Amino acid sequence: MTEIVHKTLACGIECGVVPFPHRHIVAFQIRVLAGACDEPEDRLGVARLVAETLDKGTQRRSGRELFDAFDALGASCSSVSGREAITIGCIVLPEHFERAVALHAEMLRTPTFPDDAVEVNVELARQELEALEDDAQDLLAKLFGVPAFGPLLGRHPLGEKETLDRTTRDDLESFWRSYFSAGRMVVTAAGAVTADRVAAVFEEHFNGFGARNKQGRSDTAVAFTPGNVHHDKDLEQVNIGICWPAVDATHDDFPVQQVMLGVLSGGMSARLFTEVREKQGLAYWVSAWQENPRGSGRVFLAASTTAERCARTYTTLLREVDRIAEDLSDDELQRAITGILASRETRGDSTRARCVELANDLFYFGRPVPDAEKIEKIQGVSVADIRRYLADHSRRDLCVLTLGPAKLTQLEHSSGQGGNGR
Amino acid sequence: MNDPYTMHTLDNGLRIVIEQMPDVQSAAAGFLVRTGSRDETAELAGVSHFLEHMMFKGTPKRTWRDITVDFDSLGSTYNAYTSEDRTVYFGWVRRKDIVKQMELLADMLRSALPADEFEMEKKVILEEIAMSRDRIEHVAIDFLRSKVFAGHPLEWPVLGYDDTVGNMARDAMWSYFQRQYAANNLTLVVAGRVDPHEIIGHAEALCGAWEASDPPNGRTRPEIRGGVDVFQTGRFKQQVLCLTFPSVGAADELAETASALTTILGGDNSRFFWKIVQAGLSPEAGAHHFAFTDCGLMLLYGTCQPENAEKLVEAIRREAKLISAERVEDREIDHVRIRRRTALAIESESPYHRLGQIMDDVVFRGAPRTVEQMLAEVDAVTVETIASYFDGFPINGEGHLSSTGPRQWPQQP
Repeated sequence: MTEIVHKTLACGIECGVVPFPHRHIVAFQIRVLAGACDEPEDRLGVARLVAETLDKGTQRRSGRELFDAFDALGASCSSVSGREAITIGCIVLPEHFERAVALHAEMLRTPTFPDDAVEVNVELARQELEALEDDAQDLLAKLFGVPAFGPLLGRHPLGEKETLDRTTRDDLESFWRSYFSAGRMVVTAAGAVTADRVAAVFEEHFNGFGARNKQGRSDTAVAFTPGNVHHDKDLEQVNIGICWPAVDATHDDFPVQQVMLGVLSGGMSARLFTEVREKQGLAYWVSAWQENPRGSGRVFLAASTTAERCARTYTTLLREVDRIAEDLSDDELQRAITGILASRETRGDSTRARCVELANDLFYFGRPVPDAEKIEKIQGVSVADIRRYLADHSRRDLCVLTLGPAKLTQLEHSSGQGGNGR
Repeated sequence: MNDPYTMHTLDNGLRIVIEQMPDVQSAAAGFLVRTGSRDETAELAGVSHFLEHMMFKGTPKRTWRDITVDFDSLGSTYNAYTSEDRTVYFGWVRRKDIVKQMELLADMLRSALPADEFEMEKKVILEEIAMSRDRIEHVAIDFLRSKVFAGHPLEWPVLGYDDTVGNMARDAMWSYFQRQYAANNLTLVVAGRVDPHEIIGHAEALCGAWEASDPPNGRTRPEIRGGVDVFQTGRFKQQVLCLTFPSVGAADELAETASALTTILGGDNSRFFWKIVQAGLSPEAGAHHFAFTDCGLMLLYGTCQPENAEKLVEAIRREAKLISAERVEDREIDHVRIRRRTALAIESESPYHRLGQIMDDVVFRGAPRTVEQMLAEVDAVTVETIASYFDGFPINGEGHLSSTGPRQWPQQP
C-alpha cells in the first residue's frame, strides 16, 4: 500500500506526497491560496492576470527564456485561476523534477511583470471575456456566478471589462506581494519521487518566501439568490440551468450527495439521460454536477434544447430529482456507487489524478483522506440516506437561468419542498 | 523493451490488437470500425454518426435499457465517437471486468437497430446538430470543410445535415450497417493488464461467427481547393480565420515532420504564441495537421475581434513565410522531441489513452507502433526533413482562406 506523507515544511509550505516508485513520471501541483475572491472589488480579474503574467519574465530570464527552460525539461505545465486559488500543475520525467521545481520557484518568487506583457494579457483577457459570448455553456456558467455563489465566490476569473480597463502593472505586483507566500502554498506530488526529495527541493527554493504561517485557509462568504432569469440571445437552442444550495465537501452528507448525483447523471442509465434523452428525445446534452467552494456547495442541472421543448425539458429535469425520493431502487443505487468506485480505481492509474486528489484532500480536509475511508463512506450510502438527504435539503428556492431565444413561460415545479421523505 | 503488442486475426477477418500494460490496474477495450462520414453518399450524410447512436438502442439480446444498465453496472467509462474515417466504441473498466466489457461491446455491434427507437434518436441527433450551430468553432470548421473539400464526401459535417438526418430511413441505415460493420472491417483493441491469450479466446467466442463481406473501398482522394470564402453571421462576436494548405497523409514518412511543424508554429511557446497571441492580436492562434489516410491539411488558424481580421491573417501569413524561408532552429526541434517523450510517458499510464493511440496507428498504418518506434520517428525530424516537407507542401502561398464571423471580410467579387 502506498503511504501518503503529509507535513508542513519549515518554509511554511503544506506538503503532501504519494510516492509511486515504479512509475515513470512525477506530477506536482502548487496551489497558491489566492483567487478571484481575494481581488479588490475594483480590480476584478487581477488574480488571473497575475497567473498569466508570472511566466512572462523573472529577474533572471525573459519570458521567452523561461518558456525555453521549461521546454528543455519537456515539462508539461498548466495553470488555472479559480475562485479560491491559483493552481499550477507540472508533469516531468523524474530526472528533471528538481530543475522543474527550481524554475517554478524562480517564476513564483521573482516575477518582473513586464509592462508590455501586462498590457497584452489585459487585452487578451478583454478579448476572452467577449469570446465567452460565443460559447453558450461557458456564458451560462458566468451568468450563474453571482446568483449561485454570491458577490465574492461568484466572480468570474476573467473579471469585468471595466475592472480590466483600469488594471495596471502595479495592481498585479500588489496582488502578488499580498498573496504569494510559502504560508499560502499547498504542494502535492505523486509518482517516481520520495517525500524526502520533494521536501528537500521545496525547502531549498522556497525558504524565506514571505510569511510562513498558514494563511488563506478560512471559508469565503457565500450567498445564494433564488429566482428565474432569462438572457435573450440569438441561439438555436435554449440553454437551461437550474441550481440550488447543497452540502460542502466535508459534510457527512457529501457522499450521499455524490451518490445522488450518480443516480441522476452518473452514466447513460442514470435518470436524466434516460428520461430526457432516451425516452423523450428532448436534448442531446443533459447533465447534473456539483461545485464545491470550501465550506459550501451547489448542485446544478442543465440541458440545451430547442425552444419548443424547453418547458418540457425543464419539468422533466426537476421531476427526476423528486422521483428519486419516490422510487429509487437498490439496483440503481448500487450502479451509482459502482460508478464512483470504479472510476476512482481506473483513474488511479494516472499519476496526475493521484496528485490532484491529494491536493483536493488537503484543500478541503486539511489532511490526506485514506482511500479506505472514502470507499467506506460511498459504500455505506443507502436508499434511506438518499431519501433523507432529499427531504433535508430543500429545493424550494431555485436559481433558474435560461439563455437563448425563448424563456420559460411557466415554472411547473411544485414539489421538492423537502420534508415528505417518501 | 519488448514489443508489448499481440496481434491476431480471426478467420472472418476481424483483427485483434492487444497491448499488455503490466503496471496498471485497469483495462480498456474498443471496437474500431473502418467507416465514417467519408464513406457516405450525399443523400445519407450523417448516417455513420446516427448509426453510432443507434448501436446503443438494442440488440436481439438486450434492450437499450439493458445496454446502459450493463455498462453502468461495470462502472465503465464508456462512449462512442464518429469521425470522417472511423467509428469507435469503447469502455474503460477495472481489469477484472474486461471480459464482461468486451462481451457488452461485441453484443452492441450486432445491433437490431430497433425501428421504434429510430425516430426518437433522430430527435436527439437533430438537437446535437442544432447545438453544433451554436458553437463558432463547429460552424467555422464545417464551413471550411464545405469549401476546401467541395464535391467530395469530406465536405459534409460528420453529424450530417438537418434534412439528410431528418429524411433518413431505417432501411437505408440497415444496408449501410450490414455493409460497413462486416467482421473484416472491424478491429478489436484491448489495452491494460490483460492476458492476451485469454482475450483472443474470448474474442473468438464472441465474434468468430460474425460474417465477413467485401466492404466497398470507395474512398477517393479529395481535390483540395484554394481560394477565399467568407461566411458572415451576426450570431457570434469573434471572427475565426483559417488558412489551409494541402499536406501529407497520416502514414506518410513526413507525417511526423508535419506534426512537429504544428508544434513549432502553433503550440505552447511557439512562433504564433509569441508573435500573435503575445502581441495581443488573438487569444487563440495555432496550427493543426488534419491527417487522413490518403491526404492531409495543414491548418493555421486564429480567432480575433472582427476589426483585427486583416492583421491576424497578415501575421499568420508572415510566420508561414518566415518558417518556409528560414532554417528552423535546432532548439525548436529539440523541444518537440523532449516534450513528446514526456507526453508518451504520461499516455503510457492509461489504457484509455493507449486505446486511442493504437486505433490511430491501426487506421493509418495498419499496425501499432511501439514507444521506441514513435520516439525514433520524432528523433528523425530534422532541419532537412522540414525543408523536404516545404518542398512538397509549401505554406507560403495563398492556400485557402476561410473567414467566419460577423464581418464580411475579405470582400469577395
